[in-house]
Amino acid sequence: MTYSFTGKNKTWLTAGMVIGLLCMVLTWFGDDDLHTRFWSNFLHNSVFFTGIALMAGFFMTASITAWAGWYVVFKRVWESISLFLVVGIPLMLIIGIGVYLHWNHLYHWSDQSILDPNDPEKFDPILYGKSSFLNTTWYIGGTLVLGLIWIFLLNKIRSLSLAEDAEGSEGFKKHYGVRKYAAIFLPFAGFGSAAMVWQWIMSVDAHWYSTLFAWYCGASWFVSMICLTILLLMYLKSKGYYQNVTTEHLHDLGKFLFAFSIFWTYLWFSQYMLIWYANVGEETIYFKERVTNYPALFYMNLIINFVAPFFILMRNDTKRKFGSLGFTAGLVLFGHWLDFFLMLKPGILHTAHAVAGHGAHSDGADHSHGTHAADGAAHGAESAAHGGGEMAAHASTFEMGFSMPGFLELGTFIGFLCLFIFFVLHMLSKAPLVGANDPYLEESIHHHT
Amino acid sequence: MAQTKDIIYGLWNDEEDLLKAVQVAKDDHLEIMDVYTPFPIHGLDPILGLSESRLHIAGFVYGALGTLTAFLGMSWIFTKDWPIIFGGKPHWSVPAFIPIVFELTVLFASIGMVVTFYVINGLGPGVVNPTIDLRITDDKFCIAFDKADVDVSKVESFLKNTGASEIHSKTI
Repeated sequence: MTYSFTGKNKTWLTAGMVIGLLCMVLTWFGDDDLHTRFWSNFLHNSVFFTGIALMAGFFMTASITAWAGWYVVFKRVWESISLFLVVGIPLMLIIGIGVYLHWNHLYHWSDQSILDPNDPEKFDPILYGKSSFLNTTWYIGGTLVLGLIWIFLLNKIRSLSLAEDAEGSEGFKKHYGVRKYAAIFLPFAGFGSAAMVWQWIMSVDAHWYSTLFAWYCGASWFVSMICLTILLLMYLKSKGYYQNVTTEHLHDLGKFLFAFSIFWTYLWFSQYMLIWYANVGEETIYFKERVTNYPALFYMNLIINFVAPFFILMRNDTKRKFGSLGFTAGLVLFGHWLDFFLMLKPGILHTAHAVAGHGAHSDGADHSHGTHAADGAAHGAESAAHGGGEMAAHASTFEMGFSMPGFLELGTFIGFLCLFIFFVLHMLSKAPLVGANDPYLEESIHHHT
Repeated sequence: MAQTKDIIYGLWNDEEDLLKAVQVAKDDHLEIMDVYTPFPIHGLDPILGLSESRLHIAGFVYGALGTLTAFLGMSWIFTKDWPIIFGGKPHWSVPAFIPIVFELTVLFASIGMVVTFYVINGLGPGVVNPTIDLRITDDKFCIAFDKADVDVSKVESFLKNTGASEIHSKTI
């Protein structure tokens, strides 16, 4: 059976995309001179959905390599999600080109004036030390090269899977091809995603780094991907497709949602506790900033993404009921969108203030001392000075779109979500929903937990 | 000496045949004493009408108990009983407690569940359980009936009709 992408669906999804576009335009015109809010929203949503696509490809290829069979009946959903990279990578490239041409100032390292050792007034030794990796060549080149490799391999897997439909599984020839490309994809996705997480996300806090960050961020993408898979399958089932995707499959996806929510929390907490325990200024600044200026988001992040799925999905039957599983999937998807918001916005706001000359006093201190410890301390001072400076004007450090997501952020999210779903449904409609002739199909249809 | 039972049982070679036989027995209202299999069989529990185990509820309670023990215990030790400063941290350093809280949760839940399981099933040191047939731990699938509960001739014909490879009687 092939999914038919009806005109009604297209209209709704296009309307959602128009809302998103409208919100982005409104953000652009109500923005500061650097269009920080516009570009940070663009980055936030692009990175979120690009990562979800990558994780779908990663999990699919990991399952293929592990000879897993249970998911095969809905493998087309993951194939379709993973190919969203075709849209996501160009979006990331637009941001990269924006960094190169200084359309935006999302990343502190892209400011060339701080990299000149002959200018002690502005010189930043930490960013200078990192400049061999944190630069536009790596940013654009990494996105382009890794993106092309990912898309090429996932496209190969997709076309072999479609060829298997047409030509049958004679000698498992096509399946062996899929296995080969899946195994090649895995290291590129595993190591490559870490490198791109450092570039795309972690480097908004350019002075700070954490070796755990790529895992933490990847887990966040992974959980979001499982949530979207659950919601898409529920939608398709409600429309009469995928009748052979049973409660058993959803139960297993629910287990993955439960387990990887805990895995995410484990990584989140490991990162937090090590930094808290070591108490090194240059590291604690990351959490100090978030606990002090974003307390609601900081704790809500843990409640939505850990406490809620942990207690709701702990029981057997809540993973098997559409209501509780669908609710949790929707909640956690939004929760991880907030998680990415919290990863990106504080660092971007800092950079914007530094570039726009806010907190210039402490910035000077930062650059003239330049030792690691002084940097951490100076950043703390910068946020304090910033808070003090703004006191007179606004009486608080609150900034809409940064301290918390406003309507424009939510609208932009809806726009990107509709773009994502439009693409996935379009890809689904181009091929039969169930890949016939897959050697694991029978196992998947009779899947029983 | 515990009460003895006169039982009659059949052995099957395949789990699919066993599942069909159990269904027939249920339809014929034959009271099955127990079914023995070398490994868990999917779909057997619903046919037998077994209710879901409540062991995991006990597990949750034990786990919560472990959480509280670790958290309240450490809070008391490090703030009241023997306060020590570690690495310049406050006495009541919650993040540092979390790993131990996690470990004790797991420990309490696992040991509590094992002990509960053994007590409920009457297992313990020195307990000898009658084994109906040693091969049910290897490759045979068994349905056993208590002769006191069923019409023996009816059971015999049921065992023959549903393809049992062997039929035996035994006192356990």
